[in-house]
Formats: sequence, C-alpha cells, structure tokens
Amino acid sequence: MASGYLLNRGVLALGIHGQRVCRNVLLTQVREKKRWMKAYKLLMAKKLKLEGPPPPTPRSQKLNWNYHAEVQAFSIRLHENFSLELLKTAFINPCYLHAEQEKRQSLGVDSETTALNLKDNTQLSQKGEDFTQSFLTDWCRASFPSLPSEGVDSVVGHLTSCAVIAHVARNLGTDDLTMSAECPVPESVLHSTFMAVIGALQESSGAERTGFFLRDFLASQLIGKDLFDMWTVVNPMGLLVEELTKRNIPLPEPRLIRSAGASTVLPLYFVGLYSDKKLLAQGPGETVFAAEEEAARVALRKLYGYTENRRPLDFSPQQHQNPLIQSAISN
Amino acid sequence: MTARGTPSRFLKSVLQNGVGRYVCQLKRISIIFSKKGQGSLGIRDFIEEGVVDYAKKNPTTVVYVSPQPCRIPKIVAEYMNGTVREEIVTNKTSPQISELLAKMTNQSGLDIIRIRKPFHTDSPSIQGQWHPFTNRPPSIDPIRPKKEDSQ
Repeated sequence: MASGYLLNRGVLALGIHGQRVCRNVLLTQVREKKRWMKAYKLLMAKKLKLEGPPPPTPRSQKLNWNYHAEVQAFSIRLHENFSLELLKTAFINPCYLHAEQEKRQSLGVDSETTALNLKDNTQLSQKGEDFTQSFLTDWCRASFPSLPSEGVDSVVGHLTSCAVIAHVARNLGTDDLTMSAECPVPESVLHSTFMAVIGALQESSGAERTGFFLRDFLASQLIGKDLFDMWTVVNPMGLLVEELTKRNIPLPEPRLIRSAGASTVLPLYFVGLYSDKKLLAQGPGETVFAAEEEAARVALRKLYGYTENRRPLDFSPQQHQNPLIQSAISN
Repeated sequence: MTARGTPSRFLKSVLQNGVGRYVCQLKRISIIFSKKGQGSLGIRDFIEEGVVDYAKKNPTTVVYVSPQPCRIPKIVAEYMNGTVREEIVTNKTSPQISELLAKMTNQSGLDIIRIRKPFHTDSPSIQGQWHPFTNRPPSIDPIRPKKEDSQ
C-alpha cells in the first residue's frame, strides 16, 4: 500500500502519459474500483442464461457427509431398531450398482481390483412390498368393515402408489441416503427403496413393529382424503342399486327436493334419494343429473362408513394397542 | 406491505407428523466457523462447551463441525422436507447459540410465513357444511314431493 501511495505521488509528477506507462508495468495491485468485474459478471450471467443452472449434485457428494452417521440417525429418527447392515443394503439400488460398475470399467483398471462387494435391495424390496400390501389390506378391512373389496383394493392401491410412497420417502429424508444412478432420485427408485426399508425393518424388528410403522407413516396419508378421490366409480347410481339389492333394501327413488336460480348461470338443485319413503341421502349439483350422481355418492359413503364426519382413525401410540390392528396383524 | 399482500399458508405439518409418532424434522446441522476469526469467538466457546451435549441429547440430528477460514460463522440446518436454512452467528455468545439451536431443532422446515389461522382441521364440520337450505323445513320450498308419491 505504501508503494502504491509513493507511485501515485510519482504518477502525479509524471503526468498523464507517464501514468499509463506506470499502470501497465508496475501498478498491478492498486486498490481501486474493479472495472473488470462488471464485464465478468455480465459474462457469467449470460453463460447461466444460455446453459441453465448446473445439474443438482447428490447430497452425498457435497461437503459434510458421513454415511454411517446419517444411516444411524435415520434409524433413530424413526424410533425403530434397524439392523444397520440391512438398512444400508436397503439403500443400494440395482441401478446404482450398474452405473458404478460401468464407471469403474471405463477407468480401465482390471475388474478384480475394482470389484463391488455390495448386495442390492431387490429381495428386501420385494419382501417389503408383499408385507405392505397384505398389512394395508388387513388394516383397511379392519378400519372400514363395510367397504367392499374393490374399494379396499383401490384405497391400498392409492397408498402404495408410486406418487404417495415417493412423497412419504422424500419427506422422511430417504432420498439423501438412496444410492441411485440419477441425481434427483426418480419416483420409481424411491418407491423400491422405501419398500426395501420396510423389508429391512421387518427382518430386524418383526412384523408387529413394521405394522405400526406402516400405520404411522403410510396409513396417516388417508387423513383428509375422500373415498372417491382414490376409487374411481363411473356409475355411482348403479353401484348403489347393487349394494341396496344386496342388503334387501328397496331401490332408491331420486326426487328433486330443492332448487334455486334455475334460470340463472348458477343453478342449484338438491336431489334426495328416498328408499321406502325414507331419505337415504341428498346431494347438490348444477344440473339435476349431477345432483343425482352426487346424492348417490353421498349414499354410498354413508353405506360404506366413509363419511367426512366419521370417527377419526386410531393412531394411538404403541403402548395402548388397538385390538383392531392386532387382529389385522394376526390375520 | 399489507397483511393480505404477504405470502401466507395454512397451518400444517410435514407428513401428518405427530399423528402416529413424533419425528424430529431436523436432519443435520453443519457448524461452519473460523479458528481464528473475531466473530467466531462465541461459536468456538459453544463448540468447547455445548456441542457434544447437544449431539448426545439429539441423536436424530447429525452434527458436523467444520472449521474453515471464513469471516462469517454460520449454522446450516437441513430439514427432512429438503429445506436448507442458514443462520449467521457472528458475535453471538454460547448461550445465545444454544438457544438458536434449540429453536432450529423444534422447527419443521416449512417456510416461515404468515399463517392464516392458528388452527386447522381436516373435517371442518360434524353436521355437514352449511348451505342456504340447511334447517329449512321442506314445506316452505317451492318444490316438494308430489302428493301421490308421498302416499
């Protein structure tokens, strides 16, 4: 800095011509406004605009990552006793093994020194999937006793669908630990990984604890869900007629109960379904047919015990065990 | 800006947390500080006194301590839903930092914005939603079941 000061003094004495010479030869470290910065920043911004943001890197390739500690914390976080070996196996996907082997082969070292001694999670995943399917089916049957088997299947299908499982797995922090070939882990890989985690839990802590795990993390996704969001029924009236004939109840008669604004752009009709002169259900709609369909859906919900104001599902902690779930497990 | 213009959300939790069991939402914490810096004095104190206790008390959180030449010491918290939150701890004392860590441990990782209502329910009404025809006797209505049907 002192030299800069002295040189500046010298520059003042030499005049403008001398200043230019001095700048080029000697003054490389003068503190001044960095005039190259603007051009550089603009270039970088242009580059970012042309190339787009850089691809995301997996968390395991960033700083501060200890895989063992992470896996251990994962198992404690879920309040489960995983065997860590099994849990680590559950996170290794076949696609990762494939990609890793290809990468090692491309390095040109002989295959014996670079052999991968890892087992993939295919078996665990299969096991977890079977258990999830059977447990959730039993749980649904126990929680909604009057729901027919198609309804149970569609509820279980919704709970075990790729999107729901991937959402649960993402929010449980599984995607950081998952070893996958692609970086934002695809939904199918997350699905199989989560199933493998369930399989690992079943092997290390038994079926009962796995049942509670599934109840707490998967079945709780049913909260606030409507039955017909999960179960597509094209003709609810036909289904209602079928159900009523099964139960020996006289067939429903649709009647227009109320209407308002019939000649406006926002008409409203209320259709009630009467069976044996008793009101089964009523539903609103913009047209009479829509209202009738809605009324049939309301009646079906009442029949199946899946109304909005039903008793909440039992998610009480493990100490006060629910007889329904115990029976579901023993089934 | 007025309250209506600010971003807002409804009260919710990640994955219905607490319905079956409570899961601490803080995944990992990295404490980034300088070994010599003036502003890192408090966090160095905290690392000597409190960080081991914190890690023992919270086995669900992975704690990384990384000394590196930096002017601004900070705590980077990563939550289960993928949120990464940085807190700058320049010139903070050790008790202040442990208070901050306790706060971060209890947070859920959802964005901190105005919450529209301090309560939430998934089944808003036991009796069914109100509409203009609720509790209206059917006899007043213009449309009623025909006489021959009701017999």
